[in-house]
Amino acid sequence: MKGLLKEFSKGIFRENPIFVIALGLCPALAVSVSLENALGMGLAATFVLVCSNFIISGIRDIVPSQIRIPCFIVVIASFVTIVELLMAAFSPQLAKQLGIFVPLIVVNCIILGRAESFASKNRILPSILDGLGMGLGFTLALSFVAVIRELFGSGEILGFAVNKAYLPATIMILPPGALLTLGMLIGLTNLIKSRSRK
Amino acid sequence: MDLKIVLSIIISMVFINNFVLSKFLGLCPFLGVSRQIKPAISMGLAVIFVMTLSGLLTWLVYRYILVPLDLVYLRTIVFILVIASFVQLVEMVILKKSPVLYRALGIYLPLITTNCAVLGVTVLNINTFFINGKAEPASFALSLLQSFFAGIGFSLALILMSGIRERLDLADVPHSLSGIPIAFIIASLMSLAFMGFNGFRF
Amino acid sequence: MDNKLLLSISPHVHKGESISRIIWLVFFSLLPVGVAGIFIFGPRALWLIVACIVTAIATEAIILLLRHKKVTIIDGSAALTGLLLAYNLPSSLPIWMACVGSFFAIAVVKQAFGGLGRNIFNPALAARAFLLIAWSKYMVNFTQPICTWAGFTRPFAYPDSVTCATPLALLKEGKAEGIYQMGINYLDLFLGNRPGCIGEVCIVLLLAGALFLLWRKIISWHIPLSFIFSLGLLTWFWGGSQIGKADVLLSLLSGGVVLGAFFMATDYVTSPLTRKGQLIFGFGCGLLTFIIRKWGGYPEGVSFAILMMNGAVPLLDRFCSPRIYGHLTRGRRHSV
Repeated sequence: MKGLLKEFSKGIFRENPIFVIALGLCPALAVSVSLENALGMGLAATFVLVCSNFIISGIRDIVPSQIRIPCFIVVIASFVTIVELLMAAFSPQLAKQLGIFVPLIVVNCIILGRAESFASKNRILPSILDGLGMGLGFTLALSFVAVIRELFGSGEILGFAVNKAYLPATIMILPPGALLTLGMLIGLTNLIKSRSRK
Repeated sequence: MDLKIVLSIIISMVFINNFVLSKFLGLCPFLGVSRQIKPAISMGLAVIFVMTLSGLLTWLVYRYILVPLDLVYLRTIVFILVIASFVQLVEMVILKKSPVLYRALGIYLPLITTNCAVLGVTVLNINTFFINGKAEPASFALSLLQSFFAGIGFSLALILMSGIRERLDLADVPHSLSGIPIAFIIASLMSLAFMGFNGFRF
Repeated sequence: MDNKLLLSISPHVHKGESISRIIWLVFFSLLPVGVAGIFIFGPRALWLIVACIVTAIATEAIILLLRHKKVTIIDGSAALTGLLLAYNLPSSLPIWMACVGSFFAIAVVKQAFGGLGRNIFNPALAARAFLLIAWSKYMVNFTQPICTWAGFTRPFAYPDSVTCATPLALLKEGKAEGIYQMGINYLDLFLGNRPGCIGEVCIVLLLAGALFLLWRKIISWHIPLSFIFSLGLLTWFWGGSQIGKADVLLSLLSGGVVLGAFFMATDYVTSPLTRKGQLIFGFGCGLLTFIIRKWGGYPEGVSFAILMMNGAVPLLDRFCSPRIYGHLTRGRRHSV
């Protein structure tokens, strides 16, 4: 039981996909404009990650090694298509805001990376927990960046104005602000890591 | 085909909506290959090639297979399979025809498959030049143009970044910022500079 | 291994001057323009200049302390960055925004890259672009000069809150075709009787400072000349409704061209090392400035143009380096 818990929790802090391993950075920058978008994207990616980890772990003994990558991609792409259709049906607003990044979940390095390095080599239950943990870590990291950007860039959180007197710095919700925020946060993570190692 | 539209697409793809610096597509290879100038130039050329031809192939597939058969929802899966197969094919051909070229470019080609930028430009072409499944006039040529200059934009950002990072190797960057954080900070300043072209109008 | 084998970037040949001396000379050559700016735009300009310089120096001191390095604020580079940033701001900007910009310039654009001599982008210009995009409404909030050389009216009053457009903005919006429709003449442009940023309007004092630096051989003519020449030529060709009809003098004397070409593009750290590279750099700046002014959304393109060329400088240095005696030329290279 402890081992399983560890598979789940490592994705949140120690091996956080965005801040520590530095995967899945493309959506982290584009989608973190507002907290709402970040949560939506995180949820969608987690769904795809868990489902594809489940299937890939299940078929890991059947798939020949040479064509494993295309097989993984087909599995992942199918779940992404499901997510695309669900989102278009139930929250078209979110689908429009996430735009091109919903189909791009297919090439999200995190999902393919976990499939290749974990799910294809481990049993089903650990794979599901790994997917859940990584997805949660991804969502948390994404939300962290989004909170900073939305707060400083539009003075709101989830659409609610925080301080009427603050003049928002528009640059934070634009690309340069995104790159700057993420760069600083990863730098901060590195600093914390090196301090805790001493 | 209006010259104004052509020029707008060029400026948009290279500067204002630069795939790496504005749209954030293709960051993984961007960060990975931009440490030195020579590999960056090779990667840039490979990306331009793959993006242009993928744009061409996926346009054909969408127009003549997916739309008539009403399979538009399979777009994502089909496109990525087309791109992956195409890149695999190109890699095999290069390996056979010119081992020298393969050694220069070959390792980057598989990297390009999972490059968000390639899938991104193919989807962008569809979103821009198809309305409700119907192709706009001249959409083939415009899609090709858009794919080519998206590649140029990516390569420009990549090569500029590689020059800067080569120089920074000798500088005294704070330890926790070295590697990815400083690359992001450089990218943010480049993105800031490119925003000078905002509001472009001919 | 001790530090006898120290690897550093070029140049490796040194003249007798120290970096600190050069920086302070540039600083003092820019002071007259600042005084003129305060005179023209009022005491608010003084507060902006002071705030920028103080924030810059404080930021640099704190960061150097945190990094356990020698606190070298006495070399004047932080002060110079603060001064140049203030010169690029409108006098009505809220002071706290100027402080944020100054902090950004030193902390992110300069110190994150390794400190003095290591930055790629010009800190003052990058901060100005940052502020422009962050708080665009406040960065284009220009006011009329409250005090002109012609009449010493109300020498120390605060400006009216009526905003007005700079000459370039008027040209861009098509509200004025030539200089006389803007209500000013060329002498006004030279002396600074026009709305604009604190340190960019008084052309005559800028040129005086630039001539001083040229005389002392602190800057060379390559970058400013190629910048201004290319911008002037392109404006003459395509700037107006017909070839040769554009007002080249107006476009060269308005906006930040003189300040940018002589003081910001010539910054040692962010400009090319070789003469050939410098000429290409200058032409590139002129070309990009013209493109942004003519077709881009912003009326003024100097800051962005210089920033973009800053990004290209490492490549320019790499590919424009002089041929080393004994090596084969590119075309006949047998082994690398």
